[in-house]
Formats: sequence, C-alpha cells, structure tokens
Amino acid sequence: MTMTQAPQEQPESPTNRPPSMHRFKNWMRRPYARHVMIWTVVIGFLLLPLCWLLLAAMNQTGAPASEIMQDIETTVFVFTLVSIPITAFVFAVLLYSLIGWKRISSDEPPMQENPAIFTNRIGVVLWTVVTSALAMFLVVWGMIELAQITANSYGTISANEQPGGNQSVIVNVTGQQWVWTFAYPQTDGLVSDILYLPVDKPVYFNVTSKDVIHNFWAVELGVKIDANPGAVTTAGVTPNKLGTFNIRCAELCGMHHAYMETEVRVVTQEQFDSWVREMGGRRTS
Amino acid sequence: MSSVAPAHVHSAEVPQPAQHGKPGGIMRRLNFGTGLIGGIGLAIIAGVVTSQFVPSGYASPVTFAPMEGEYVYLAVLLGWVIGFMAGMGAFVGPIRWMLGRESTHLDAEYMAGKDLGRSRYWKYTTDHKVVGIQYLIVTFIVFGFGGLLAMLIRTELGATWTEVFSPAFYNSIIGTHGIAMIIAMIIAVSGPLGNFIVPMMIGARDMAYPRLNALSIWLLVAAVPCLISSLFLGGIQDGWSAYQPLASQAPIGMLGYQMTIIVFAISTGIASVNLMTTILTMRAKGMSWSRTPIFVYGIFAASLMGLYAFPFYQYSQILSLSDRVFNTSFFNPLEGGSVWLYENLFWLLGHPEVYVIIIPTAAVLMEILPVFMRKPLFSFNFAVAGIVGVVALSGLVWAHHMYMTGWAPAVNYPFMLSTEMISIPVGFLVLVVIGTLWRGTSWSRLPLMAVYAVVFNKMIGGVTGIYLSDVPADQYFHGSMFVVAHFHYMLMGAGFFGAMGGIAFYFPKMTGKILDERYGSIGLWTVFVGFQLTFGSMFVAGLQGQPRRVLQFDEQFDISNWISTIGAYTIGVGTLIFLGAIIFSWRDGPMVSGNPWASKSLEWQTPTPVPLENFAVLPVVTERPYNYGVPDPYDEELRAHDGDELESAGAR
Repeated sequence: MTMTQAPQEQPESPTNRPPSMHRFKNWMRRPYARHVMIWTVVIGFLLLPLCWLLLAAMNQTGAPASEIMQDIETTVFVFTLVSIPITAFVFAVLLYSLIGWKRISSDEPPMQENPAIFTNRIGVVLWTVVTSALAMFLVVWGMIELAQITANSYGTISANEQPGGNQSVIVNVTGQQWVWTFAYPQTDGLVSDILYLPVDKPVYFNVTSKDVIHNFWAVELGVKIDANPGAVTTAGVTPNKLGTFNIRCAELCGMHHAYMETEVRVVTQEQFDSWVREMGGRRTS
Repeated sequence: MSSVAPAHVHSAEVPQPAQHGKPGGIMRRLNFGTGLIGGIGLAIIAGVVTSQFVPSGYASPVTFAPMEGEYVYLAVLLGWVIGFMAGMGAFVGPIRWMLGRESTHLDAEYMAGKDLGRSRYWKYTTDHKVVGIQYLIVTFIVFGFGGLLAMLIRTELGATWTEVFSPAFYNSIIGTHGIAMIIAMIIAVSGPLGNFIVPMMIGARDMAYPRLNALSIWLLVAAVPCLISSLFLGGIQDGWSAYQPLASQAPIGMLGYQMTIIVFAISTGIASVNLMTTILTMRAKGMSWSRTPIFVYGIFAASLMGLYAFPFYQYSQILSLSDRVFNTSFFNPLEGGSVWLYENLFWLLGHPEVYVIIIPTAAVLMEILPVFMRKPLFSFNFAVAGIVGVVALSGLVWAHHMYMTGWAPAVNYPFMLSTEMISIPVGFLVLVVIGTLWRGTSWSRLPLMAVYAVVFNKMIGGVTGIYLSDVPADQYFHGSMFVVAHFHYMLMGAGFFGAMGGIAFYFPKMTGKILDERYGSIGLWTVFVGFQLTFGSMFVAGLQGQPRRVLQFDEQFDISNWISTIGAYTIGVGTLIFLGAIIFSWRDGPMVSGNPWASKSLEWQTPTPVPLENFAVLPVVTERPYNYGVPDPYDEELRAHDGDELESAGAR
C-alpha cells in the first residue's frame, strides 16, 4: 500500500531554508510524487514530436505559399508546445492511477478506505495560476497574430486605392453551385475559372455568392472566407511562392459540394500579364 | 409497495374531492397503442383535408417548387404530434381542470403507475423512475438510429474508389446523423439519470411537476418519427446546422427536421423547468448547497443552459419553416433577409448545447469517482466553481463558429477571448478528477474505467479545441475534418463514454441487476480503441486539409479515411457488445442489493426496486456528501514533525 510506504528519511526541520522550498522537498520525498513528475517529463517528451508531425501533416497538401499560412503554422506549433505540459501531467496521473497506485478488482466493495484529501490549497492555486497563465498567453498570442494577419491581408492595400491601381490585384470571387468564378475588375472584363495571381503582389478578394453559402478556401495561401449571398466579404493575401495550389469549398453547399474545387496558379508578373493579354483582357490601368 | 406510507398525509379539516368511478378515469384506457392510433389517425385526416384545400400545381413564387407536398407533410406532422399526445392522454389533465374536476389521491396514484406492473412504461405515467427508464429506451433508439447512419457515412468515405450513395442521399444521412446524435447525447445523461436519480439524490418523493415530466418524455417520443420520416422524404441535405438558404433548397424532408426541433425544444424546456424547480425547492431537510451532490449541480447547470439556449433554436426553425412554407423572407437574402441572422440564432443554441451535453457527463463522473476511489471528491468548491464558470461563459462564445463568415471581423477578438477563457473553468473540472484519483487505491469497476476513458478523450478534445478557438489557426481548420474530429472527441468521447459510465453506475438502482462487468468492459474498451482510430486519423485528414461533409476527396486523404472507417466499424461492434451486456444483464442478471457499490449518497439508501415514493420517511441530511476515506497518514506524520505550520499552509 502506498500509504504505508513511509519516506526513507525523516524530513529535515525547517531551520534556515525558506518554508516553501522545505515543503516542496518534503513532498518530493514521497515516491509517488517523484514518479508522477518523472512520468510527466517522459510523456511530455514522447508528445513533443507532435509539434512537428502536425505541421508535416498540414504541409502534405503543399508547403505554405504566403506569410499568412506561415503565421498559421507557427501558431499551430506554439499551441502544441504550450499544451504539452498540462496534457502530459494529466496523462501521467491517469496512467499512474492505473498502474502506480494500487488497484482492487474484487466484486465486493473494498473494505479499505483511502486518505481523505478534501482539498489542497497549494495544488489548487498552482493549477489555477498555471492554466490561467497559459490561457492568457494563448489569447495574447492569438490576438497579436490575428492583428498581424489582418495587417498582412489589408495593410498593403490602401483603403482609397481604386480599382485600376496596379499596386495590388483585385479579384472578385463568386461562388455558385458548384463552381468558382474569378473576375478581374482591373482588366477589361476578364473572367476565369482558374485563379491566376502574380507572385509577391498583394491580392484583394471581394467574395460573394449567387445562391447559397460557400466558403472560399485557398489552402496553401491560408485564405478562408465565406461567400454569402447578398453580401460581399473581403480577404487579402500576398502569395510568396510560385506554383499551383488548391482551392476548395469549405462550407456544405448542396449536392456536389465535394467537387467544388479549382486551383490557384501563382506565376511571375510577366507570365500574369501575358496571361491577361492572352485571355483578351486588357489592363485598364 | 403497500408498506410505503402515502405521500400526502391529509389533515382531517381539508375536504377531499370525492372519487367518481375507478381511479384514473379515462386514463385507464389510454396507452401507447391509443397514442399511435390517435397520431396516425389524425395525421391521415389532416393530410387528406389539407390536400383538398391546396390547389394542385400551386408552386412557390420564390423557389418555384410545387408546394402541395409541403403543406400536406406539414399537416401530417402536426396531426401526428397532436393526435399522438391526445391518444396518450396528455390533454386529460388540463381538460379536467377546465371542467373543475379535481384529481383524487387515488387518481394520482394511478397516474404514477401504482400496481400497474410493466404496462406503466407504456402509459402517460408520472412517476419519475418510469420516466427515467422511458428516457433510457428513447436514448437507445435515437442513438442506434444515428449510429447506423454513422456506419453508412463511414462506408461511403471508406470506399474511396466509388460513390456508394448518391450525393443527395449522402448529404441527407450526414444531416440526419448529426441531429439524431445531438438529440441522443443531450438526453443521454440528463434524461435517464436526471429523471431517475436526481429526485432520489436530493431526498424527494418525485419531481416538482410529475405530469410535466410525462409530457416531456412523450413529446420527445412524438418527435422521433418526425425525424425518421424526413430521411424517407428527401432528408436533411444541408447538415444538422441547416444553414439558409441551402435549407430552402432541400426537399420536403426538411420540414420533418424543423418539426422535430420545434417539438424537441418544447420537450427540453419543460424538462428543464421541471428539473430546476425540483432541485431548487425539493431538496431534503438539511441539504444545504454545500451538502448537495455535484451531479445535482451538473443537471441544474444543464437545465439552465438548455432553458436559455433552446428557444433560439426553436425560433430559428419556426422562422425557417415560415420562409419555406409561407414564403416569408427572414433568411432569404434575395428578398432582404439575412443568412447571418440564421447563423447567429443557430449558434446561440449551438454552443451552450455542447455544455448541456458535457456538464452532466462530467458531473456524473465526479459522482462515480469518490465511490470507487473510496475518498472524498477533491475540492468540491472548485468543482462547483468550474460548473458555474462554464455556465457563465457558455452564452458568450457562440460566434466562434462564425469566425470565417465575414459577418463582423472585429468581434473575432472578444469571442476569441471568451472562448479561450472557458478552458479555465473546464480545467477546474479536470483538476477535481485528477485530484480525486491522486493517491487512491482504486476499485477497478466498469464505471471507473469510463472515467479514465473520458478524461483521456476530453484532454484531446480540449487541446484541439484551443486551435479552433484561435482565429488564425481556425483560418486553416474551419470547415475541415479537424473540426469533426474535435467535436466527436468532446461530444462522443466525453458524452457517450460518460453516458456509458453513468448508466453502468446507476444500472443496479434502475434495474435491480448489475451490469455484466466482463462484457460491459469488453464493449467499453472496444469502443475506446475504435474511437481513437476513427477520430485520431480524422484529425490527420483535417490537418491534411480535407473539408468536412464531402463524399469524394483527393487521393492523399485515402489512408486516413480507411483507418477511420475501420475504427468506425470497431465502434459499431463495441457498441453492440455493450448493448448486449445491458440487455442480457437486465433480463437474466442476478438481483443485487440496494447499494452494491457501498455508496454513501442518498439515492443508494433506498431499497431496490425503488418503491413508488422512494422514501417511506423523508430523510434529513446532516453531513456533506462524499464522506469517504480515513485521515491521511502522511498528514499525521508531517504534523508530528512540523507542528501546525504545514496545516496552515494547506499542504495536506
């Protein structure tokens, strides 16, 4: 029985040590306390690879193609890292309760009772402080990241810039069952069902829908915004990588929702301009 | 039962109403059979009459869809609900009151199912224990229906090379699976255990409003055929969230969903009021709030949140139904309506609702723990604070489902704050659980094993929840399989496993038999393993970027979907084993004593089977619940060395 396993040595008297340190040392002398702490560390290290495995899974479709998507991946990494200590501690206690502390599997209720721990002020305060601090950290992190993403999306586009300016590309995205159409208002009525974007240039999306709610999701660019009928929503991004990436619909929109996919081709400015010319759209600027 | 003293000891001065005829009157003739006859009869009449009044060929001016079927189906549904409730005898009480006929004590005893044997389960019975068993059976039926649909979904997604079902049918099974499981999980703990156990736990003889109790269960029963019928009439092709305007495009089966929700919300509201009143006013003498068991707090919290949240849902569906049938335009953007209004109304229910599911299961686990750990609940006050904190925040987080709608980007900041704050009170509950496990010799029985399963799942569900609560990360995860895996970890991993634990724990009190430990455990752990496979690999699919609610997807998602499907079938097998254990234990198991777990709570002090009015003499509570355990030897030892310093620092 654990409760009969007395500490090997007698606790020291709190002569010239601070009392809290003394209590902690006393507590750590108990075998189960040491074990749970060790198990927590071990489980924590076993969980640590998740930080990278989650990102590896996210990158399976394609590596980030914009700063926004990189920010998102950093957030996922940090959140995984921050939640590991608490998770590891809870798992360690669960596991230790199953294997470390004794178990009785009789059919009859056990006669023997356990130590009546009604509460533990230090434990409760410590838990509250640590979990609150972690939660506050997540909130602050999230808000800073969100502000940064918002700035990355819209900051480079001056609010007064008219369609026709060439500091940025404006794309009017329209969802309808079950296709995406991309119109380029800065050109002479160019419309495409594949999204072409020049690299390293801010893009500004005006997103709407003709029928039901869709969700415009440019996976590797980290753009996701609902396409609502009767309203225009906005999003922005600066693609920083050449290549072909996925666009999916992320809101159930009826029968062929699963097939409402297309692609975004991020090309150089010259290729983009020649594509615009080929498609018969003349830049109005 | 005859040995139990009557509940109402009338003083001689109060004149009693005279007994006319046999006790119960017309209620003697009414049961589930007459309910079916009434429901089907009135449904047919209403359908035929309506079809005579709607001009054939009449089409909606908005969607151009023919409307005759809509009106007929609506009339049939209304006819079914009203006819069924009339046939069950739901209107007998109110009509008697209107006619000025008072019920006698014998009438009330008949209504409570006295001396009726098994037939009382098929009647409009007011006894809370009968209602609890009825809720249990309805939970099984709805859960089984939803589970069957889950198997179909996983079959489709596992067969990556072909379309097993048509896209339209696939969409309707995901919607129906969603709402069926939501209903099953909402009632899974609050229904059977809230009704059966809570009155006994607080030392009452019945609920505050016994007839409303019967009304709430039979309204729920009336709602079930509305839901099932919708699947055969085109189904719910727009997910359980039924976003407009997609819901207006759906076939007439959509009306079945809307009617289900409207009726279910009434049922839930009635049950909530009943439970809350019972808990507030009928606790035994001496049961102060600090002596009230934590499960009672959990049920009270769930009822409070349900009472607040369900009206939003009900209104959203009434308006949605009105858009559909009467061509109003609350949510139709082409006519000036707003899709965001619908989303707000829906999620004002949607988020408190997950706590309506999770809080009672967490509370029943905290009820199980002290009994099997043979020690008191760790920090009772902290547990109460956790529940209060969740309730307080639950109404302030709904728009985190709408981060990506573009509805109001500025409110993403406060909703991110409130959502991440909720992890603090939820963390309190986790601490209470691990604090109770701390240094305990556990009595390893099935209910306790469910606690381990739930805490494990809840940690994973909770941690993945913080990614989704964060707007930047949600920008990737929203609408992906990651969300599906997350909420299954919460609602199924905590809700379903908690319900299994709770039902296993209270099974001896509810049925007089003990749940077979061996097959129950095999079932539980089979479900657990299947669950980790299914939803663990669904996280991977979500991380890879698979959108939810799709029936075909890119090849890169194949492997994780195959694993999910294998896991889902494992869950199916495990659930059947668990169900088999319940059925065989209930039928053939040995009778057990009234208190097989040696619990100290009030509900276990009654004899089994529980007599009609629970307690012959109403109990008086003199101490806190969970007075288990012996003085801590470490504590004694340290006190001997360090005097009182340690105790004052709380290092016990």
